[in-house]
Amino acid sequence: MLWETVCSVVGLILVAVGAFCDIAAAIGINRFPNFFVRLHAATVGAIGGAVVPTFGAGLIALGSPELGNYRFFVAGVSFTTGLMIMILGQAGAHALARATLKAKAAPLEPCVHNALREREEVRGE
Amino acid sequence: MSLALSCLIPLYIVAIVLYAVRVLKGPTVSDRVLAVDALGFDLAAFLTILSVLFRAPIMVTTALVLALWIYALDIYVAKYLESKEMGD
Amino acid sequence: MIDLIAALLMAVAAVTSIVFTYLAVVEKNLVQAVVFSAVQSTMYALIYFLLMAPDIVLVYLPVGVGIYPAIVLLLIKKTDKVDE
Repeated sequence: MLWETVCSVVGLILVAVGAFCDIAAAIGINRFPNFFVRLHAATVGAIGGAVVPTFGAGLIALGSPELGNYRFFVAGVSFTTGLMIMILGQAGAHALARATLKAKAAPLEPCVHNALREREEVRGE
Repeated sequence: MSLALSCLIPLYIVAIVLYAVRVLKGPTVSDRVLAVDALGFDLAAFLTILSVLFRAPIMVTTALVLALWIYALDIYVAKYLESKEMGD
Repeated sequence: MIDLIAALLMAVAAVTSIVFTYLAVVEKNLVQAVVFSAVQSTMYALIYFLLMAPDIVLVYLPVGVGIYPAIVLLLIKKTDKVDE
């Protein structure tokens, strides 16, 4: 009885944190100046906005006894989905950034510091 | 519990609409694919929450399928951009 | 309460899918049209989910997001990128 209540409350807190991260990432992806800065907002949206509420939904399902034995099914699928997003979001964002940088498909206009080009210049000398 | 989850639903709707706005006005292909990526992952989390809220346990499997196939779309466009850079 | 949430979500998804269908028809750059079509498929999957049909979602997502953009991108790679 007690651990069910604890699971429900912790899951609800995780879902609320996920909603906040989601709003922050959505505002950031609309306000940032170029593609390589928007990668940061998209990754916040993938980890804070998708992995955390998925784990929270799994904990809520574990703590709700009216689902019967199906609650373990819901919790297992939720944790698997969270782990998959945790791996695949970063891999997809990295592949897209590498392809965009190599093909020069996006402008690098407000550029503060470009460590990759500096390293290439040092190596070229 | 159900009421508290229902109060959090509009925040997710607003976030999905804002991602769709970036898909609308992103100047390059990479911006649009990145926004679709974030939209798909957030929609996967949203489907999990909805299936807990609706008390329909079978419907949670769609979130796993959505997350895996959105990643596939990312890799397709990255491969297209790199092959164009190589000169076919 | 649950019915109201489902109806509101279906309205938002339907309006968004109409906008993206129009853009996918009008757009000249074919790669961006493929991305718009993927968004439209995702929104239709959300509508099918809210209509309590998870089997349709399990079929519609791989076809709309996975296989169709793969085949169309393979075709675009062999032809011109911009429609005349």
